[in-house]
Amino acid sequence: MITSAWICLLSPLGASALITLAGTRISRRAAGYLATLSVLVSFVVALITFFRLVDQPAEERSHVSTLWTWLTAGDLDVGLSILVDPLSVFMMLVVSGVGFLIVAYSIGYMDGDDEERRYFAYMALFVFSMLLLVQSGDLLILLAGWGLVGLCSYLLIGYHQERPQAIAAAKKAFIMNALGDATMALALFLLIQRLGTLEYGAVFEGIDGVGGWAITLVALGLLGGAVAKSAQIPLHTWLPDAMEGPTPVSALIHAATMVTAGVYMLVRLSPIFEQAPRIQDLAAGLGAITLLVAGVVALVQTDIKRVIAYSTMSQIGYMFLGAGLTTYPNAMFHLMTHAFFKALLFLGAGIVIHSLVAEQDIRRMGGLARVLPKTYTAMIVGALALAGIPPLSGFFSKDALLAAALDAGAYGVLLWVVGLIGTFLTALYAFRMIFIVFGGDPSPFVREHLHRPGHTIPALWMAWTVGALTVLSLIGGWIQFSPFWHPLTDFLEPVAVPGIEPSGVEEVVTSVLAVALGIAGIAVAWWIYSARRAEVPRWELGQRVLEHKLYFDELYDAVFYRPAVWLATATSRFVEGPLIAGSIRELTEGTRLLATRLSDVQTGLLRTYALALGGGAAILTLVFLVVRA
Amino acid sequence: MGNVLVWAVWVVAAIACLGSGIAVISFSNPFFSALALIGNLASLAVLYLLLAAEFVAAAQVLVYAGAVMVMFLFVIAYVGGRAEHAFESGPSWQALAAAVAAGVILVDVVIAIGLTTGGRLEDEADIGVVFGSPADVGEVFLTNHLLAFEITSIVLLVAAVGGVILGSERTRKRA
Amino acid sequence: MNGPDVSWYLTLSSFLFAVGALGVLIRRNPLIVLLSLEIMLNSANLALIGFARHLGDTGGQIFALAVMAVAASEVVVGLGLVVALNRSRVPLDVDRLSTLRG
Repeated sequence: MITSAWICLLSPLGASALITLAGTRISRRAAGYLATLSVLVSFVVALITFFRLVDQPAEERSHVSTLWTWLTAGDLDVGLSILVDPLSVFMMLVVSGVGFLIVAYSIGYMDGDDEERRYFAYMALFVFSMLLLVQSGDLLILLAGWGLVGLCSYLLIGYHQERPQAIAAAKKAFIMNALGDATMALALFLLIQRLGTLEYGAVFEGIDGVGGWAITLVALGLLGGAVAKSAQIPLHTWLPDAMEGPTPVSALIHAATMVTAGVYMLVRLSPIFEQAPRIQDLAAGLGAITLLVAGVVALVQTDIKRVIAYSTMSQIGYMFLGAGLTTYPNAMFHLMTHAFFKALLFLGAGIVIHSLVAEQDIRRMGGLARVLPKTYTAMIVGALALAGIPPLSGFFSKDALLAAALDAGAYGVLLWVVGLIGTFLTALYAFRMIFIVFGGDPSPFVREHLHRPGHTIPALWMAWTVGALTVLSLIGGWIQFSPFWHPLTDFLEPVAVPGIEPSGVEEVVTSVLAVALGIAGIAVAWWIYSARRAEVPRWELGQRVLEHKLYFDELYDAVFYRPAVWLATATSRFVEGPLIAGSIRELTEGTRLLATRLSDVQTGLLRTYALALGGGAAILTLVFLVVRA
Repeated sequence: MGNVLVWAVWVVAAIACLGSGIAVISFSNPFFSALALIGNLASLAVLYLLLAAEFVAAAQVLVYAGAVMVMFLFVIAYVGGRAEHAFESGPSWQALAAAVAAGVILVDVVIAIGLTTGGRLEDEADIGVVFGSPADVGEVFLTNHLLAFEITSIVLLVAAVGGVILGSERTRKRA
Repeated sequence: MNGPDVSWYLTLSSFLFAVGALGVLIRRNPLIVLLSLEIMLNSANLALIGFARHLGDTGGQIFALAVMAVAASEVVVGLGLVVALNRSRVPLDVDRLSTLRG
């Protein structure tokens, strides 16, 4: 079982190294197959690990395996260790399973790209980083995985390195993530100082004794990391820009890797966060704000990928809400179903973009239902699952999550209301996109530019992966339907005990309300965008605010960027120029002058040198004499 | 009586030594300088004898005054003894400074000797008859200082090879 | 035998050394510079042998013999240079050999 877990972790790394080292000796297609195969291997061994784990009694399902001591500093020993327990196996399955489908899809999507090999090496590395993150048996390894995920996102968002916007987006993602990494590292330092260890087991045992402001700071630092990685307000601005990467990358970031890491951490480190309930409330609150804001902003986006990107923010907001309110299994459940339908939506959008020659503006699309009927079906399934319409996967997870909120006092009820409003918004923006892109007659642009993907091998890779995700989005939610059956909750029980348990009545009320609001959202979208019975409501100021994404970018620009630039310019002009560059110039000139003067001493005359020697000897003797006397 | 004789020999040898030394650096013709140096070396050999260093004295006369100086004279004859006005050379400050430096070294050493005299320099060690004899020197050379002996031979060999290469016409052309 | 003690020899040695040094410093003919060097080396030899006598240690004489060997080597190389200079029609004047001027 331990062996299979290690294979699962190292297989994508091996593929990445192999593709990098092989270079042009393997064909582009071969690189794609290699990466796909490695992630498939990961998935298969993750399945094996899962079944072995299930065979064991519930209380023994936690195994730590340490390869060697990775780092020693003073009393702190950090082993290169992985942890195999229900939570990590669950994440391994999601990451490698959905990751496999996305990488396989890439074989079709990236076909013909000049740098396919680099792309697949990065993709495999990305999957490895995420697996390292979820399998780590130690907080420091978690941080290492955390950093590697950030690095891979940087590499892949900036994949189109000839596009300045892509580079800018990559840098933005990296900096935002680095901010989170830094707060997380500070939290770890505090933990080391207090507990002297970073192993999960030892930390969770000793965490009771930390107490006071220290535990709050630790939890806050960790939350900072989670917020940055999961693109929650206020560190969310990188995510929409990250759409500069190729579409499968967006799918990977949003569905399988990266953004779910924050939720995973909230659940994995729940013993720490439970010591700081105020931070948990903060996490839930941030999630609620994010889900609302992202839902509203998604309503006015015109880029098909950005609409889906904001929907991710919003859905991750739900997960934060759940994890913050300690209904961990539901948060993880939503993470899984979200992985299915979000990957589906992105890959479907990828097909649309692909067949429209890289056009992403939904205003130029329309009537695609006639020309891409299968993609239309897949997108409808994805959007319905996103909106939480039964019996698709989103319904089961989102409603259970929201119902649990009712059990958490007045604050919970407030969040519950926010979540329900979010449901309405979700349905509205999802179907706004569907109706604009697929509804009506084909637009002039579509008629002119459409090129139908034929039955080539690349197109088949794209088709079957989307098909598989469609099936998963349809039935993936049925594995748990609380309160009737809940295998997932039972499975995760030893790791993350939910703090709140909704009653059956709360479940029913929530479900009915959520489904009603979802259908209402779809109806409104149909009313406005498909049937065109009503004008799109125009409200100049609101529109502008939303199109600028609530001016977050502008705010950060004004608060951080401009002062930094001003400071740098001032430093350059008043400090670096005269002081550093000036002193260096003076130094070189002084040295040159000195050398010129000194070279006069080099007369080349033998007797001068001999005189210097003799004089020196005389003076030395004199000095010795004086010292002796 | 023997005391006075030793002193007399020492004074004569010392005067010859210094005088010939000054002659070496004063003659404008290097040929005369070389001849004066032979005198200098010979008077030094006398001083060595007074210091019970018979073997070194013999080596001094044979190797130095004989072989080395003959080589000098050959070279001088080959090059041609071009005369140079002895003390009129280079900037005058240099000659002055040279004299000052040499004088300072001299004064330094003399003061150093004066400071230590009266202490340890009076009691001379007692030595046997064999001290400084070829047997004695040979024994010490080949036991305690064997490494120095071998290194000296290598230095001489290298110098010989270097001299051949420097003087060889053929090598210079190839270079 | 109560001859002059070692300090006399040392004084004589230092006078010789000063004379030799003066010769090296003020003469321009490389041949005479070499001869003056010989004087300096021999003054050191005199001091060495004086100390050997004073301490009753033959090691000083051994050192003097080694110095003689080194002096012979130095003469060989120095004279070789002089011959080479002469052959390439370079004037025999140490002040003219100033290619090392900075």
